[in-house]
Amino acid sequence: MVRRLPSVRRMLPWLAVPPLAALTLLLILPIIWMLSTSFQSGDKMYQLTTEWIPKVWHPENYPNALSRAAFPLFFLNSAVVSIAVMVGNIIFCTLAGYGLAKYRFPGDRFVLLAILSTLMLPLEVTLVPTFLIIHKLGWLNTYQGIFAPLLVDAFGIFLMRQFILKIPTDYLEAARIDGVGEFGILWRIIVPQCKSAIAVLAIFAFRDSWDQFLWPLVVVSRDDFRTYPLGLVRFGEDYGNPPTEQMAIAVLATIPVFVLFILLQRFVKTGFGLSGLKG
Amino acid sequence: MQAQTDALPRRAALPWPPVSYRTRIRAWGVGFVLPTIAFFAFFKYGPMLWAFWLSFTSYDMMGTPRLVGFDNFTSIAHDPMFIQALGNTLVYIAGATIFITLVALGLALAVSQRVPGSRAYMSGMFLTNVMPIVAVCLVWRFLLHPHGLVNQMLSPFGFRRIDWLTDPSLAMGAIVGVTVWRFAPYFMVVFVAAIVAIPADFYEAAEIDGAARWGRFRHITIPLIMPQLFFVIVVSALLSARIFLMPFLITGGGPGGATRVLSMLVYETGFSYMKMGRAASISVALFAIAMVFTVLQMRLFMRGEED
Amino acid sequence: MDSRTSPSLVGRRGFLMTAAAAGVGAALPPSVPRVASAQQAPTRAPVKLTFWTWENPQQRPYQHRRIQQYTQQFPNISVEFQYFTFTDLGKKVSVGYATGTAPDGFATGDWLMPTWLSRKLIAPLDVSLLGYPSLDAFRNDHAEAFVAGSIQDGKAYGYPMWFYGLENWANTKQFKEVGLDPVRDEPKTWDELGEVAKRLTIKKGDRFERQGFKFAMHAAQWTMVQFNPILLQAGGQWFDRTGKCTVNNAAGVKAMQIRSSIAKKYGAEDPADSLATAPIPWMDWLKERCSMFSAVPMGPGAIKPINPAMESEGYYKAYLMPGVTADRRYSTCYGFNLVVNSQAPREKQEVLHHLYRYMMGDLIDCWRATTPFTFARKSGWTDHPDVRNAANIDAIIRAKDTGVFLPRTPVWNELADAMHRAVQKVMLANGDPRQALDEAAAEVDRATDEFKKS
Repeated sequence: MVRRLPSVRRMLPWLAVPPLAALTLLLILPIIWMLSTSFQSGDKMYQLTTEWIPKVWHPENYPNALSRAAFPLFFLNSAVVSIAVMVGNIIFCTLAGYGLAKYRFPGDRFVLLAILSTLMLPLEVTLVPTFLIIHKLGWLNTYQGIFAPLLVDAFGIFLMRQFILKIPTDYLEAARIDGVGEFGILWRIIVPQCKSAIAVLAIFAFRDSWDQFLWPLVVVSRDDFRTYPLGLVRFGEDYGNPPTEQMAIAVLATIPVFVLFILLQRFVKTGFGLSGLKG
Repeated sequence: MQAQTDALPRRAALPWPPVSYRTRIRAWGVGFVLPTIAFFAFFKYGPMLWAFWLSFTSYDMMGTPRLVGFDNFTSIAHDPMFIQALGNTLVYIAGATIFITLVALGLALAVSQRVPGSRAYMSGMFLTNVMPIVAVCLVWRFLLHPHGLVNQMLSPFGFRRIDWLTDPSLAMGAIVGVTVWRFAPYFMVVFVAAIVAIPADFYEAAEIDGAARWGRFRHITIPLIMPQLFFVIVVSALLSARIFLMPFLITGGGPGGATRVLSMLVYETGFSYMKMGRAASISVALFAIAMVFTVLQMRLFMRGEED
Repeated sequence: MDSRTSPSLVGRRGFLMTAAAAGVGAALPPSVPRVASAQQAPTRAPVKLTFWTWENPQQRPYQHRRIQQYTQQFPNISVEFQYFTFTDLGKKVSVGYATGTAPDGFATGDWLMPTWLSRKLIAPLDVSLLGYPSLDAFRNDHAEAFVAGSIQDGKAYGYPMWFYGLENWANTKQFKEVGLDPVRDEPKTWDELGEVAKRLTIKKGDRFERQGFKFAMHAAQWTMVQFNPILLQAGGQWFDRTGKCTVNNAAGVKAMQIRSSIAKKYGAEDPADSLATAPIPWMDWLKERCSMFSAVPMGPGAIKPINPAMESEGYYKAYLMPGVTADRRYSTCYGFNLVVNSQAPREKQEVLHHLYRYMMGDLIDCWRATTPFTFARKSGWTDHPDVRNAANIDAIIRAKDTGVFLPRTPVWNELADAMHRAVQKVMLANGDPRQALDEAAAEVDRATDEFKKS
């Protein structure tokens, strides 16, 4: 039953546009600032006045910054590691999240708590023993050494569990009666229903790994496996380097996550385009 | 649900293993979770247990650990630095969790309205997650400078200069602000995905029954996004408990230790002062806080999960 | 000769090399180390070394270049050269020691020597392999402040690279603007500094357009470097004979008051307002937002990229830091040492000596690349025209020679962090100096107790 809304009420949604647009703009001001600053000359940043559109553009900040250290290689290393972490998380977290959401077995609450408990200790303290494990495996200064401990994150498991909980169990039981195997249920029913959750998980896993600083610092001692945050911070310590070039590197580092987000965001639906008013 | 499945006939499709249908299903459940548990056992629980053991030792990373019983714990209980960091952490967890949840929910509601361009707003706001964390800290340090952009924007409203990062009473608030800026849009997307899955009929039916907006929100939206609410609260609390890079890069724990949180204290104690045993005991304290909080949350939220 | 070489390190090969060197060296005055042209390889066998150092725009590339020249000359020796930010280097080395992956040799700040020494992580050096006939010869050829940190129990543990003191860098154009004479009005005491800074300050309402003098506020290391001489000038000391921290006695409080006087008494500094995103916040000075600043030696190479006018017109000058009284003016001196991992095999240790000697073997070459950072070694460079002609060289060398070293304590990091917090409390939160120092001293005493227990 579709109701014809009175014409005044039809205008109401448009009234929401200015505040929403303003709010969005406000939130992304720092990003615009970063973008604008990356094209400024080195000493502009020290004048503490904000010039949104640079009067003088300095696109050479980008090639200059890239050439100061092996940044293309650092970015490549980060990409390899982050893709591995993203894929690993998608696989493992979906499996475990499904298992915890739709199966009742003795101790399942305890298992959930045990999984969450891995989020409760700060990284600094488990750093040394994890390092020793990687060292014993001979994985220091290798890609697998960097991404192995990050392949599954409790955050992702919990995320998938909470989303899968909402899928009505009737579907599953019906499928069981139809003879679809347990794995088939996962693949053919759960996964298609969880696309937005998987997209959200993928972005988080990739971005978390992309940002990692302390762990790669400890595990890598050679430039050929260095990831870009190490390069970026080291870059900043060299006070001969203009901070605007540091901003340029930061902008470049934003691009892969941004691209991933563009690719995945179509899986995350918003209210517009669906019928009916919400809430 | 439970009763229905029990009423299903025993399947004779597989003669072996000779277990009931129920048990076979349960075994699958365990099987799905097993790879993760195995992974954690190797890469997480091992190091965690080592860290727990370490909290009872004195270990400077160069020699061998020396057992000292509960000395570390009694020592930190009397240490003003630990108490200050503990207080800072609790304030930070509370502030960050509450505001992230409220802001994320608010933004999600705003964005899931039938408003033109809502997808663009959602995507735009999500961009705060796209910046690398190191860049976030660098940029905000400039923006929160006494003469930086934030103060520049506030001065037309009559605010005199605000020392966001160097005034001890404001610094923690500033860090919470940056945290909310960074994480709320991410959790907003989580909420949005949940909200749009609520069928419109529910709302229409309620409207016909005479429910007002607030009533619809309270009785339809909230219960139906409970799993996500639980998720956001627990996860933002756990993330806040562990937060390190933001206070570290933005204020370095200052001024005067006003933004020094427990994970920073762990880091300094372990890597600067080379007292890994003591650092481990501080992280055990952090672990205990996080565990208590999570168990409470589980009690609160998971009652409604019984099928 | 050989009785003084360390038997644990020098085998027969080393003995021959030392004897040959001694023969050559006999022609030169004993205090002058032989220039390490190093024609003779320390060994023919292939050797792989790992060497870690910290990032610095001039110093790191120089070390790298020397190492590359060395390995070109001796192709059987390969060196894996890695560098990290200074704070990260300490972390990496610690984790390395804990897991058996520490580098064979690394560079360290000399204030961290007690940290490594107290845990026996660095090996005693054989000074004969570095070109000195005896430990005394080594001692006499280096600045006292360096020696005090590097020599312990009759053995040397660090081979110095750069070593310098801080000066008070002033913008002479701004001096003249406000009617001050850069020569006659040189601030010699802290009070004079306050007065001069006050005259140089320009304020628009609440906001500082120009601060007269700035202290660095961004890192514990710098807090220590700046506070150390004030404390000593005021008659205080960091620890008493029993090892208790005495920074909170009357002299310490006086020192803290002096430290805060520029901002609080003379109104010439805004501690919260700094372009505090550069690792060394000298950007304020280079951007002429402050007139005077306490900093390490700066040369045209550092100034020109940021403020070419200042460099080309030369309107900057280095003064000695002020004192409580005009006759006792000094700053902190600190430096960087090359050290050897005590767990490295003997052969690698030997080769490291050889490498280190080569790295610092041509001080004039080093000076040209890293002007105006000075060296701990006394001989071989100070009379060279390139040195004598450098801007402000007299003040720089005097700062190095008269400087005092940082407190040598194994709880250095705890001390630095405690002092950093204390200064923040006083400068940013209007805290009471006595109370802030009491808290800092208590923290340090706790740390010392913990250290003694372990």
